[in-house]
Amino acid sequence: MSPVIKAIKEIPKKVTSANWQHLVIGLFAILMLTIPLGAGTYPNTVMIDIGFYSIVTMGLILLMGFAGQISLGHAALFGCGAYASAILTTNYNLPPWPALFLAATITGAIAAIIGRLMFRLHGLILAGVTLALNLVFFYLVSSLVDLTGGAMGMMNIPPLSLGRFTSQDLLFNYYLLWIIAILLLVFSLNLANSRAGRALRALNTHAGGSEDAAQVLGVDIMKCKIWVFVLSAVYASIAGSIYAHYTRVIEPGTFMLQFSALVALMAIIGGRSSPWGAFLGAGLIVGIRQLLREFMPVLVGGLTGSYELIAYGIILVLALLFLPQGLVPIVQKVAPKKRAIVS
Amino acid sequence: MDYSVALQIFFSGLNLGSIYTALGLGFFVVYSVTRVLNLAQGEFVMLGGMLTVSFYTMGIPLVPSILLAVVITALAGAGLYRFIIYPARKSSDVTKVFLTLGFAFVIEGIALRVWGWEFRSLPAFFNTPSIQLWEATIFGQTPWVIGVTLLMVVGLFLFFGRTIQGKALRACANEPLGARMMGISIERMALFSFTMAAGLGAVVGTLITPLTMTSYSMGLPLTAKGVLAAFVGGITRAEGVILGGLIFGMIEAITAGLIPGGYHSVIAPAILVLIFLFRCRGILVIAGRG
Repeated sequence: MSPVIKAIKEIPKKVTSANWQHLVIGLFAILMLTIPLGAGTYPNTVMIDIGFYSIVTMGLILLMGFAGQISLGHAALFGCGAYASAILTTNYNLPPWPALFLAATITGAIAAIIGRLMFRLHGLILAGVTLALNLVFFYLVSSLVDLTGGAMGMMNIPPLSLGRFTSQDLLFNYYLLWIIAILLLVFSLNLANSRAGRALRALNTHAGGSEDAAQVLGVDIMKCKIWVFVLSAVYASIAGSIYAHYTRVIEPGTFMLQFSALVALMAIIGGRSSPWGAFLGAGLIVGIRQLLREFMPVLVGGLTGSYELIAYGIILVLALLFLPQGLVPIVQKVAPKKRAIVS
Repeated sequence: MDYSVALQIFFSGLNLGSIYTALGLGFFVVYSVTRVLNLAQGEFVMLGGMLTVSFYTMGIPLVPSILLAVVITALAGAGLYRFIIYPARKSSDVTKVFLTLGFAFVIEGIALRVWGWEFRSLPAFFNTPSIQLWEATIFGQTPWVIGVTLLMVVGLFLFFGRTIQGKALRACANEPLGARMMGISIERMALFSFTMAAGLGAVVGTLITPLTMTSYSMGLPLTAKGVLAAFVGGITRAEGVILGGLIFGMIEAITAGLIPGGYHSVIAPAILVLIFLFRCRGILVIAGRG
């Protein structure tokens, strides 16, 4: 048998779980990177929105799905990145790229300190504290008028640029955001399959893990939780920095509890068991939001924001009652191998 | 420090402390019976305030307006338990918390649809004029806030300590299985606690509307503040919640009085979060009574 035929015959065998995952990621990347070529300005803006939410949600999924810790304050981490970038570039004239990395470092360091104190707590108490921390962040940026412009926010944040492209260009933003989102997805999936990822999943009491058992097996649970929180914060911070350079205007209200709640909702609806859930959750929710914005004013009138909120609430309740694992398991069933998409 | 300034700060602290205590008690009532952190509690406060304003501006006198608002909000609380939490009563605490969050979204959306995004306000109850007490000026609403909160606290203590219904609630909180064996329906008690918490929330809403205006979006921030007040003193005991609320209010009043600018709004919750992070079981534990 010639080597070529042999190789062809072996293809089906080789397309096993790991390969499937690579294939799916590859197809997803190609799809996401070709969409803007055919789509107009409006779909691209919506896709950029989905990109922002996806990155933040992915960070939250790492925290909620792998370490089993709840956060209702992720808007603060997103805002921390946005404000750090904005302050470093406008007040200290740092170029945007180093500012983005510095912002991620600062946010990560803050997360490490808070995490060290916070992860002595568990479950609902922890959720309450993250909610309060989000409130503190909002009041902090609202009151530090000299540094952050207070309630008025910050303006004239310089755009990110690469060669002759800047983030004032919609397509540049799209590619920047989605390339980063896909890189983070690959990183998250690899993390899930690494020693650290397995250790983290062992902590997740909501998915049958046990902190005590993990500790007995030699997992330093405090260190694990802090690391995944830092990672989660860095994801949110990167998204925040890009957001600040993209809109070029930020104000405290964006980073309030509603955003945190929305991101948590996306994580739950998407599915906490896999980073893919971030795209499913963000895509679904932003999609529904856009549909409501299109059709509700025509059908019934009134403020569309109200229908969005009602829809979010109903979807969250229905998802929790009938689909507690989110959309990921449904997509998993369609995929040929059990471990094809999910870690 | 000037004597009058100190007095002013004291009354302002008492006022804020009463509000935070009353906010925190709503979480306490639900949490102690059902172990659910009710993220929709702030929405009940908002709903109470908004409904009172609506009825009042329709020309209905103040007291019936408040009663109507409280009853409607309490019904919303009962609905939250009966139609959302009850079907999921077997699922984890985390699921229940997110269910209350979903309900909070729905209430917020409905409020936005009904009342729009404008802020609404009420005059001080019965147009009570500001009072000059020694050197301090007290806004007319403040005595109402402090008085009603005091009534609420005394009422709750009497209810939990003296009545069969209250004792049954406490039994569910302490020993659910034992309570069930004594013939207490835990589901019924949970329904009652949600209804009661929503009603209490609505009362808080009407109390604060003359002080801080009410809008559809203030539910979640109020939830965060109430949770903080309830946690910092220890949510498992009513005394803890009262202590936490008063400390929260006092710190905010002191920082507002001494530090110019908007910093008080950040310093008070920040200090509370720090206290809580370092003493995770609440202040009462420091006092050695937890």
